[in-house]
Amino acid sequence: MKKTTLLTGLLAGSAMLISQGALAASCGEIVIGSAISLTGKYATNGVHAQKGYEYAITKIRENGGVKVGGKCYNFKVIYYDDESKGDRGATLAERLISQDKVQYMLGPYSSGLTKAIAPITEKYQIPMVEAEGASRSLFNKGYKYLFAVLSTSEQYLASAVSLAAEKAKEQGKSPSSVKVAIAVENDPFSLDIRAGVSEDAAKFGMKVVVDEKLPRDLSDMSAILTKVKLLKPDLLIVSGHSKGAATAVRQIKEQNIKVPMIAITHCEAADVTGKFGDAANDFLCSTQWSETLAYKDSLFGTAAEYEIGFKNAYPEYKAKKVPYQTAQATAAVYVYKDAFERANSLDKEKVRDALTKTDMQTFYGGIKFSKAGNNIAKPMVLRQIQNGEYNVVAPSAFASHKLNWPRN
Amino acid sequence: MAKKKIILYALILAFTFIAPFAFPNFGTQLATLWLMIIVALTWDMTGGQMGYNSLGNIFFYGTGMYVAALISIGRVYDIGDYTSAAGGGIYEFTDVQYFSGVFLGVLGAGVFCSISAVIIGYVTFGLRGPYFAIGTLGVAIAAGELVSNWDWVGGGQGISLPGYPGDPDTGKVFFYFLFAAVGVSVFVFVKWLYETRFGAAINAIRDDEEKAEAMGIHTLRYKLITWSMAAFFVGMAGGISAFQLLHFEPLETAYQTIFLGIFMVVCVLLGGKGTLWGPVIGAILFHLFKEVTWNYFLGWQWVALGALIVVTVVYFQDGVMGWLVHKRPEWFGIQVEDKIAGETE
Repeated sequence: MKKTTLLTGLLAGSAMLISQGALAASCGEIVIGSAISLTGKYATNGVHAQKGYEYAITKIRENGGVKVGGKCYNFKVIYYDDESKGDRGATLAERLISQDKVQYMLGPYSSGLTKAIAPITEKYQIPMVEAEGASRSLFNKGYKYLFAVLSTSEQYLASAVSLAAEKAKEQGKSPSSVKVAIAVENDPFSLDIRAGVSEDAAKFGMKVVVDEKLPRDLSDMSAILTKVKLLKPDLLIVSGHSKGAATAVRQIKEQNIKVPMIAITHCEAADVTGKFGDAANDFLCSTQWSETLAYKDSLFGTAAEYEIGFKNAYPEYKAKKVPYQTAQATAAVYVYKDAFERANSLDKEKVRDALTKTDMQTFYGGIKFSKAGNNIAKPMVLRQIQNGEYNVVAPSAFASHKLNWPRN
Repeated sequence: MAKKKIILYALILAFTFIAPFAFPNFGTQLATLWLMIIVALTWDMTGGQMGYNSLGNIFFYGTGMYVAALISIGRVYDIGDYTSAAGGGIYEFTDVQYFSGVFLGVLGAGVFCSISAVIIGYVTFGLRGPYFAIGTLGVAIAAGELVSNWDWVGGGQGISLPGYPGDPDTGKVFFYFLFAAVGVSVFVFVKWLYETRFGAAINAIRDDEEKAEAMGIHTLRYKLITWSMAAFFVGMAGGISAFQLLHFEPLETAYQTIFLGIFMVVCVLLGGKGTLWGPVIGAILFHLFKEVTWNYFLGWQWVALGALIVVTVVYFQDGVMGWLVHKRPEWFGIQVEDKIAGETE
């Protein structure tokens, strides 16, 4: 008697468990791995990117998931903290692939980390859609499983150089009279920024008067600024991710550096307007994406709607700009959804082939990969911080405001 | 006794061969274990046997990485173009280019490091004790900084190398055996070396350099040759690491003074300085400890490592081997009369 009661109870219990399980598992799961910088010098942007991934995953889940073979799936990402260190990132990628058996990867933050991880995913032939590695040196190794949704780094500040040339002409001077100062982090991303700026400057015959590297921890550039003060360049370029941007804005103010045009990267990600207020005015900031642009898609809506949706999901961003690092991370997940649906399969080779054929319009802009894996369908824009607002000033096709020049 | 030893060595060698197949999931960890054994054994050549505690051996590891990578790339492409931050072109390697690159690169790394040890040693061996340690550390740090600002070799970006052509699991076994081959060679080599007159001479330098000099030993020559031999093996290990890791950058991977540069010393201290088996045992224990803490106590791993170093230095100054010799002298062929042993305890 007792035994039967127990048995019935067990049966009933397990039946309940099964039905609950079935409810929760009405959609299957596609597991993606990602090593991302949650601590260390890239932590700010690592977190921006992670939130971008998570926002996309939630949004996709709310809209019926990913449809593969008539079944629906949701994405789930296994994250590990790479501590902003390349070797750690590579070890974690290895671990994600060999131990956690992930078949798909989302990129880490920064070109340096992507460079450390891409050889591993390539070795195991695991597709990796990345949103945060822009250095061109990533796309000359013949990688077949690497796809980047963002524009490459030489495009970040190219418009700043042409703007400086334009301004020189307006002043009745030759563009070749423009003196350029460059201070960049010693990493693949910023070195490519430097390469791009140097190439463009050379085209105009401009002279590079300062060409320095930021210290490793990116927390002090006063020595370089002293040099800048002495040599009086017409254009100052600083690139060092969020930490470098914050250091530049803070110390340029502290040391009262007067340069007519200062162009830096990662303004929004570092929230320079929130942190430094007026000191950030008239800085030129390169951006992969702006919520004012006229991009849109069926899932996230327009660029502006994406920003509102994201701010509602993550209220801590209410008071600041949603950085493009977040938007492109979201776009990377969206690219995966699109590729899975077109491949109509969970086979990684078929998904990889579908990825190569990606050609989509998103809230983040067009996405289409070259043979080397970089996105060739989306331009970069240059914004200027004008009275605390980020206004697009270049290229002219997207410009909504006029450039404030000279600075100060 | 001799027979027993031969059986023991045969067993260890057999295990070396079987290990990557018996534990396929731990291929990379086993390869890293051999790397630790190599750097520990070679560190002990100068540190334990000759009394020169170098903190700069990581210089040879990093330089080995760069030399191996540059040789393998330089044979096929222009290095400046390959490493350029601006990208451009697609750089791929055929199987023949890859394997000949690995072979020549690793060998070249050994030779280059061996020569650079003679040059650096010529300057730094004038220093004694802690000054030598700091001097060599300085060399490693300076080298890392110089390389990280040298655009031709990629500067702060480091270098990405082509992957093993073919199945990644075979690749793991390939690198395991490369490391194991160097590791076994180092062991056999130092085992032979320490039994020769040369071994006695470097021990004499450790025990009293002035006396050794007075006895007619050309100490500088012995020191240079010893370090140069150690550098040869470390350079090769660095070269293999470069191909195994696929991507490396100057400060955190190649010239990683505070990681591998210190780990090798800890391995030797843990196992027992100046013994043949000490560095090997130390490397195994340390590697196990590191893998366990890095996997299960993540966040506390550095605290645990610090604690390990403190405990070793305070309580086990002679390492595991020293402790064993003290506790079980009969295992090492040391005859101790019971009575005397009883009194000393």
